[in-house]
Amino acid sequence: MASSSSSRSGRADHRGCVGYRALTRRQAVQAGTFGGLGISLADMLRLEARGEASTEAFQTTKAGATGPAKALSVIQLHLGGGFPQHESFDPKPEAPVEYRGSFGVVKTKNGDVFSDNLPKTAEIADKIAVVRSVVGKVPDHGLATYHLFKGYTPTAVIDYPAMGSIVSHELGRRGELPPYIAIPNNPGAVGGTGFLSSSFGPFELNADPGNKGFKVRDFSIPDGVPLDRFDRRRQARAIIQERIRDLEADPSTLDTMDEFYSQAYTLLTSKDAQKAFTFDGESENTFKLYGSDTTGSVKGPDNQYHKKGLAERLIMARRLVEAGTRFVTVTYGSWDSHVDVRKNCLDQMAPLDQAIAGLVNDLDQRGLLDTTLFWVTSEFGRTPKVNGDSGRDHWARNYSMMLAGGGIARGVIHGASDSTGGEPARDAVPLEDIQSTVYNLLGIDANKELVAFGTRPIEIIKDGTIVTAILA
Amino acid sequence: MALSLPIRPWLLVAVLATAASAESAATEVPSFRQDVMPVLFRAGCNAGTCHGSARGKDGFMLSLFGYDAKGDYERIVTEIPGRRVNTAVPEQSLLLLKAIGAVPHTGGKLFDKDSDLYQTLLRWIEADAPDDEGVVPQVADVTLSKESIVFEKAGAGDSLRVTAKLTDGTSRDVTSLARFFSNNPSVATIDADGVVKATGPGDTNVFARFSRFNVGAEVIVLPSAEGFVWPNPLANNFIDTLVFDRLHKLRIIPSDVCDDETFLRRITLDLAARPPTTEEYHAFMSDAAPDKRAKKIDELLASDTFADIWTTIWSEHLRIIGGNYAPVATHVKAAEAFQEWVRKQMRSGRPLNEFVADMVTASGSNISNGPVNLYTMLLHKPRMEPKPLAADFSQLFLGVQIQCAECHNHPFDRWTMDDYYGFVSFFTGIKRKNGIEPRERRIYFDTSVEPAKHLVDGRPMPAKVLGAIEPVPGGDDPRKALAQWLTSPDNELFSINLANRIWAQLLGRGVIDPVDDIRVSNPPVNPALLDAVSRRLVEAKFDLRSLVRDICNSRVYQLSSKPNASNAADTRQFSHAHLRRLRADTLIDSIVAVTNVSRRFDGFVDGTRAIDVYPKASGTTEVEFGPYHGDSFFHTFGRASRSTVAARETKSEPTLSQALHMAVGDSVRDRLASGGVVKKLIETKSTPEDIIDELFIRSLSRRPTPKEMTALRALVGEKVKDQAVYEDIFWSLLNSTEFLFNY
Repeated sequence: MASSSSSRSGRADHRGCVGYRALTRRQAVQAGTFGGLGISLADMLRLEARGEASTEAFQTTKAGATGPAKALSVIQLHLGGGFPQHESFDPKPEAPVEYRGSFGVVKTKNGDVFSDNLPKTAEIADKIAVVRSVVGKVPDHGLATYHLFKGYTPTAVIDYPAMGSIVSHELGRRGELPPYIAIPNNPGAVGGTGFLSSSFGPFELNADPGNKGFKVRDFSIPDGVPLDRFDRRRQARAIIQERIRDLEADPSTLDTMDEFYSQAYTLLTSKDAQKAFTFDGESENTFKLYGSDTTGSVKGPDNQYHKKGLAERLIMARRLVEAGTRFVTVTYGSWDSHVDVRKNCLDQMAPLDQAIAGLVNDLDQRGLLDTTLFWVTSEFGRTPKVNGDSGRDHWARNYSMMLAGGGIARGVIHGASDSTGGEPARDAVPLEDIQSTVYNLLGIDANKELVAFGTRPIEIIKDGTIVTAILA
Repeated sequence: MALSLPIRPWLLVAVLATAASAESAATEVPSFRQDVMPVLFRAGCNAGTCHGSARGKDGFMLSLFGYDAKGDYERIVTEIPGRRVNTAVPEQSLLLLKAIGAVPHTGGKLFDKDSDLYQTLLRWIEADAPDDEGVVPQVADVTLSKESIVFEKAGAGDSLRVTAKLTDGTSRDVTSLARFFSNNPSVATIDADGVVKATGPGDTNVFARFSRFNVGAEVIVLPSAEGFVWPNPLANNFIDTLVFDRLHKLRIIPSDVCDDETFLRRITLDLAARPPTTEEYHAFMSDAAPDKRAKKIDELLASDTFADIWTTIWSEHLRIIGGNYAPVATHVKAAEAFQEWVRKQMRSGRPLNEFVADMVTASGSNISNGPVNLYTMLLHKPRMEPKPLAADFSQLFLGVQIQCAECHNHPFDRWTMDDYYGFVSFFTGIKRKNGIEPRERRIYFDTSVEPAKHLVDGRPMPAKVLGAIEPVPGGDDPRKALAQWLTSPDNELFSINLANRIWAQLLGRGVIDPVDDIRVSNPPVNPALLDAVSRRLVEAKFDLRSLVRDICNSRVYQLSSKPNASNAADTRQFSHAHLRRLRADTLIDSIVAVTNVSRRFDGFVDGTRAIDVYPKASGTTEVEFGPYHGDSFFHTFGRASRSTVAARETKSEPTLSQALHMAVGDSVRDRLASGGVVKKLIETKSTPEDIIDELFIRSLSRRPTPKEMTALRALVGEKVKDQAVYEDIFWSLLNSTEFLFNY
């Protein structure tokens, strides 16, 4: 893939291999769009009313038997492109320099070491769990990202739902907000609802909380329309809806449509819902805690240091979780460093480090850490050996992940990689095991089967085992 | 030429398969293929959810429904000697212990020790678990004792027997070895002994599966005859006759024909992708001619817009996306060439079979020869990949999903792995090479390329059309034989697929639905109707407009969406019209037309209608980096992203995002005032009633009801020249379910 990159045009502004750039580019193209979302119960009732439930994916075959939910919500921070484990959670200070890379180490609060890119995270190591022996399947951005978000590698026949979609399908809404939200939008082609109805898709903000004048698209009553006029519109619409109601044509469609309008009115007029999507009431200290002003130590083309906006994205995620959202996906950075991994880290690590520590501390102070699972993901890690361009390439055979809160043990480092960080040395953890653990903490049995196409039972996660070593 | 079978895929069943013997006497040694494998099938051991799954289950794998007898024998007998089958102590064979639940088994207990199933396995193991020798008779056909069952009321029952005919000429009752399922248990259930029970009014199909055969029987459960009087509705053409016959049989009374206002809006949205203008509304409503509906249909069919709608539908099917990454060969110049070639065919009324044949046999430059892009756009890959190409090709042009047969015989259909690999070989020789300019690629067929190899035994499988026994003659570009077979008037798979897709565009649902999943176990809801529209298409020499004209002139198309007591529950027999969400492109074009404010689409000149827009990507168009909607409105309202050929790519489910966007998003918000519609009405109309009336006609192609007029007039109140209140009414019209749907 990388070798063909030179023939593609106009990509100088992004780092990473061709495949990865195409992923992130699509995100940019998609900015300003919305995914669908909806209400699980109503959808199911609608289908049942039509006698179609048995041919749809809404059936479940096996009763889920799992413990009570520890986590009410998940915040997934996705570091797309392939996050380097050597330069973060799994440094190899004893390895030769071509493996070790160019960074040193920092002692963690619980006596281990992280890369010195993560000094703040090292200070909160007593509150988090790190798995150093995650095993993926394919070192390809598209396939591995799909695997990470959906629990399966892609097939020609079945498109699987994203984890967030399954969570909204299984758990529904908690409060006024949509259950599954993507900040700022869906990463790549992977937030799809697969064989589930598109109403379980993520609600994409399509606006970056890190940008000045941040505002969610299609989410506020227009400036020129005072509330009494908006009410008048609602009234007028209700008047016009009566005729088609009198036709009695497909009442379930009419109900669904009106239900979505009613939800839209609620979100647009509810003070709490509107407030959740702003920074109202956040103190300067909070922004500081998350590192709002932190920049990398690499100057941009304009010879300036730049803020990264991650602090605001994570503060937004915390606000949405507080307001009842079940699954928030936040994306940050561009980690596909085939060339000069050092420079990439110098540019992006400091804001990341500060924001991770900020979120964990903030959740903890607010008493939310016990019910909120914070999960830092990447589709794979990077090669143990630094390549000829001072970069590292794709590596799915062993990498690291961080988890905290929501039933995850505090201060655990689980598994270990070998002396160069290339293969698991002990306690290998297949990606499916992490995913099963996340579902389990949410109170969802990952062995449960959903039925696709009416007849084909599909386990939420196939052959996953709960990683008990990282549970509280 | 290749064998050209008149195929009714939902009636036909698989070719030769695992065998079942005639009744074996208790003293005979059971045969592995004829006796043992049917036990594993009946007990569900080799089902997809158990050991038949691609990776097996709990370390033990069987081939799905027994497509690989040789492999199954090895896995059962020799993979772990003495364990699954223990000939020294037969009762200790794991195969038996697991099946009767004597040891822990994820699949639970499947049968008792005294059952015939158990005894068959035991006797086979006691005889040293032999493999079959010599030629084993195979199943040639499977039949059900009845093709159709009609129940007068729920609760009634009947039973089906399953008979297998073998290649040695004998027959065998295999009811006790078959598996049964119902397509809709809320109409009828079928149990393990083949007993059918009526559960509620409606029609469905029940199926028996044995070896690789699926055979179905139609089951109708009638509603009460009390008060049922068939109204003898008139028939405008053959479509009405066939739909009404079916409804009569099912005791469902069709709705009345819709009124002129509804008809005009429905037909204009369907054939011109926009609502009627105010002028068209007034002209049509004041026309007293009895044939004014037929005239309107002809007028709309003659317009280029009709061809443009079908250009976009084909453009979605063919996955046209323009990119800017040469190795994928889908440069925007190639996309433009393809799109405009399709448009030319649609506008000129090119017969659809010739249109398809041109693409199938095309070679040459992707930039100068539009139709060759069938082989770039169906893939969107830097390399040629015959398998996905074959799968998409079959799904698109035949409505058949053969890709399941890559790894196992299709579990719900007749297609075998032989069919699959033979079909893939039509595409193995398709190559591309660089052209003169950097963005150009030239498609050609290299006849020296080896055919695809069978997954199980590695046999080369020369190009062979679906269902045929013999491959097509070698030596030449096999795509010529493929096109000839595919687009022949005798190939019902092809004409049925096209006719069914055309029907679904206009009625909101195929006679087979989903339209791209035609298989034995997904039969048409009205076989006679499907046959007739397919034949009509062939008789009309594959002329799109002829079939569309017939459909639109039928009373069935023109039925009201208002149900009656007898048809309210019917969702699939076309007894009344159903609400159909407007396509995303039609919806935004409608907003533009009604508000008089244009909208710009990236990469297209100002004033381009959404219906003419196809997605353009700034780099690669590879599917992994999709979906490609090209516009946020298309994404929100579910226009096909063209990431796959699947019909479900086009989404019409309502979502919260759609409601939010219509309510406060820029599409409506920024157009309420700026088009000057309301302002002009205030200036030219003398009363609030007139303004409201015109807003209704403009937006919904109908006059307000007296009740609506009273309520909305009250909303206006004293300030009869206040623009704001009329904008609010305009907003509510555009946000009404009526506006978003064709009804």
